[in-house]
Amino acid sequence: MKRKLLGVLLVLAMMTTLFVGCAKKSDGKPAATDKKEGTEDKGGDSLEYSGDLEIMHFSTSEESQGNGGSDGFRTVIANWEKANPNINLVQTVLANDDYKTQIATLAGAGDLPEVFLLQGMHTKAWAEQGLILDMTDIINDSPYNSQYDDALFYPFSAEGKIYGLPALTGGTCAVVVYDSAVWKEAGFDAFPETWDDVLKAKEFFDGKGMDTVAFGNSGKWQINSCFLSAVGDRFTGPEWTYSLIEKGGAKFTDQPFVDALKFTQEIFNSGLFNPDFNAINNEEAREYYISGDASAFIGGNWDVSYIQATLEGTDLYDTTKFAVIPQPEGATASYKTHDIGLGYAVAISSKVADDPAKLAAAIDLAYEITGPQFAEYVASNYALGGLTKVENIDLSKFDQFTQDFYNFSYVDNNPCEIYDSYISGAVWDVLNTDLQTMLNNGISPEDVAANAQKAYDENY
Amino acid sequence: MLQSIRPKNRVIFAYLVIPVVLYVFSVFVPLMTAGYFSFFEWKGGPNKTFIGLENYVALMKDTIFWRSFSHNIYLVIACIIGQVGIAFVFVMMLSSNLVKLKGIHRTFGFFPSTVAAVSIGFIWTMVYDYKRGILNWVLKLIGKEDIIKVWLNESALVMLLVSIPLIWQFIGYYMVILLSATSSIDKEIIESSQIDGANGFQRAVHIVLPLIKNTLLVCITLCIAGNMKVFDHIYVMTSGGPGYDSMVMALYGYTVSFGQQNMGYGSAISLGIFVISLTVIGGGQLLVTLLSKERGEKA
Repeated sequence: MKRKLLGVLLVLAMMTTLFVGCAKKSDGKPAATDKKEGTEDKGGDSLEYSGDLEIMHFSTSEESQGNGGSDGFRTVIANWEKANPNINLVQTVLANDDYKTQIATLAGAGDLPEVFLLQGMHTKAWAEQGLILDMTDIINDSPYNSQYDDALFYPFSAEGKIYGLPALTGGTCAVVVYDSAVWKEAGFDAFPETWDDVLKAKEFFDGKGMDTVAFGNSGKWQINSCFLSAVGDRFTGPEWTYSLIEKGGAKFTDQPFVDALKFTQEIFNSGLFNPDFNAINNEEAREYYISGDASAFIGGNWDVSYIQATLEGTDLYDTTKFAVIPQPEGATASYKTHDIGLGYAVAISSKVADDPAKLAAAIDLAYEITGPQFAEYVASNYALGGLTKVENIDLSKFDQFTQDFYNFSYVDNNPCEIYDSYISGAVWDVLNTDLQTMLNNGISPEDVAANAQKAYDENY
Repeated sequence: MLQSIRPKNRVIFAYLVIPVVLYVFSVFVPLMTAGYFSFFEWKGGPNKTFIGLENYVALMKDTIFWRSFSHNIYLVIACIIGQVGIAFVFVMMLSSNLVKLKGIHRTFGFFPSTVAAVSIGFIWTMVYDYKRGILNWVLKLIGKEDIIKVWLNESALVMLLVSIPLIWQFIGYYMVILLSATSSIDKEIIESSQIDGANGFQRAVHIVLPLIKNTLLVCITLCIAGNMKVFDHIYVMTSGGPGYDSMVMALYGYTVSFGQQNMGYGSAISLGIFVISLTVIGGGQLLVTLLSKERGEKA
């Protein structure tokens, strides 16, 4: 009988655990939350709130090694935690790819973290769903407002309201990283400004058994972010992009954009790139450059951080230079452009508004991680820019590599918009997949444009 | 069961409650909610618009979904032949007196099915790698440089290439199931067939195959079910690419739901996969039963 009783008790215990486990999710706060309530605010801050505050981001400790934006982000968060001992900052830190999936899933479930990083392309949809807090007044009231670079807010704006404070560093998404020594051997003092010249150099590199340019597009987004955003701008000019974003009548099927697609298809079929560009990702492609298998590589600022950290101390480090994507023939709308911007913004879940004390804490955190403390840290340690302007960065203390990249990013070239910071993930998913097929000649540029336009009409 | 040792009904019920509750929460409830969401235009978040059957109408016309379905069917056929077929051949070889160290063969044969699908995907991505992959290395070594390819970027070959790791991984799994079935065959039957002069092939087809028919049916059902929901290998190796050339239904549902944030349509796709999978599994079983009945009648 005792044994039976024990059996029944065990079953009951398991059932209870199961249901309690399920129930806990819905009531949100774990018991530990209230632990610190009522304790004195010992921080130098005047924040009234004490308790948990959630933040989700992708600056992992691995990523922060050599990546200025991540390092700065983590540093400022750590300082804020120290200054606010009454607030228990609950951080969920994921690698970038996982972060994108997780945050989209949480948004789908209407359960966004209290503070998180918002990607420009989600702004409109999530604002319409009432998931994110309108931060227009918060930004206007910011103590750092006068220092903000206003243009950076554009991807996070919808219907005249702003939904986030642009975060991390303004980094290029399309840069040609090249070995100036080997290009000199090929007869070029710098990376060519036209694709015709790049094609002329191809023979030389073929002879050396090298790929002329390394590129990786197995993730499908790379061709969009690191190539088409810049090349498209050369053909269409920025007005077309703005018109597309603001539904001003521009279409993917407009001839200049189709021309950009045609050019992209042609150049990827010219043999300039590593033959496996569609089967490897950017991380593998940059290894071709690092190992000397390719004379140049096209990628984004995140690739440059990795290349810098890996090559430091080698000969290739000293001869590595940067260039904008060369001008395609027939593209006359803009020159020397590269897509650059702050791809993420610190946003606050609309649910936080129910608790004014917590909201004040979240706002304070958002101000700090995008404020002058961050900008000065990344400027003085990495020669990078953030949301607030930093005057008179002393470049002389940095090595040539860092100086060159600073000049490439902020001085020598013209910025253009990053396509996938806007519009909708649904459109880019369709376009990116078709682009991959197009590079294999499986679909025509005209059909790619038509499919993208259809997705745009249906989803935006 | 003897009444004296049979537990009381309420004890049986109490033990059953746990798995049933778990099943209901992890399978039934998500299925029902997906069914509910599939009637809405829902891009995630609290706002949804009821659109009736529109998502299902779109699903019927969605060429990418049906292409993905054809890829699943390709995998089902490839894996029934590759996994169950090769496993059966291996079992027959293992039951031969000529094979030594049978235990080692069994263990090593089963080993790949214990490895995570994601790891298998990564291993085979390296095998197929253009510059550093072993496949191209071997081709170079034997002087066949002209057929070197960027394997996973070959539209016409990619489905075959992604099915090879799947087949390789699960041969051992079906081998173990079939081995246990063949071991229950009375040795005298095999011996008398040997005395009658039946060779290995005849023994396999006319003696073993009919006697393990039911186990084979289970294997085929498992194989169909496994390949209708295949996801991880392909996600790791090609993400459904190049383009949609290796897209399968589950990966497409995932891409629509999370890549495109179209949860309503994603739910309709999930329901579609559920119904189609049930039909294919049921159809497969019916086909095997009919075929084996016919054989029985003819005999």
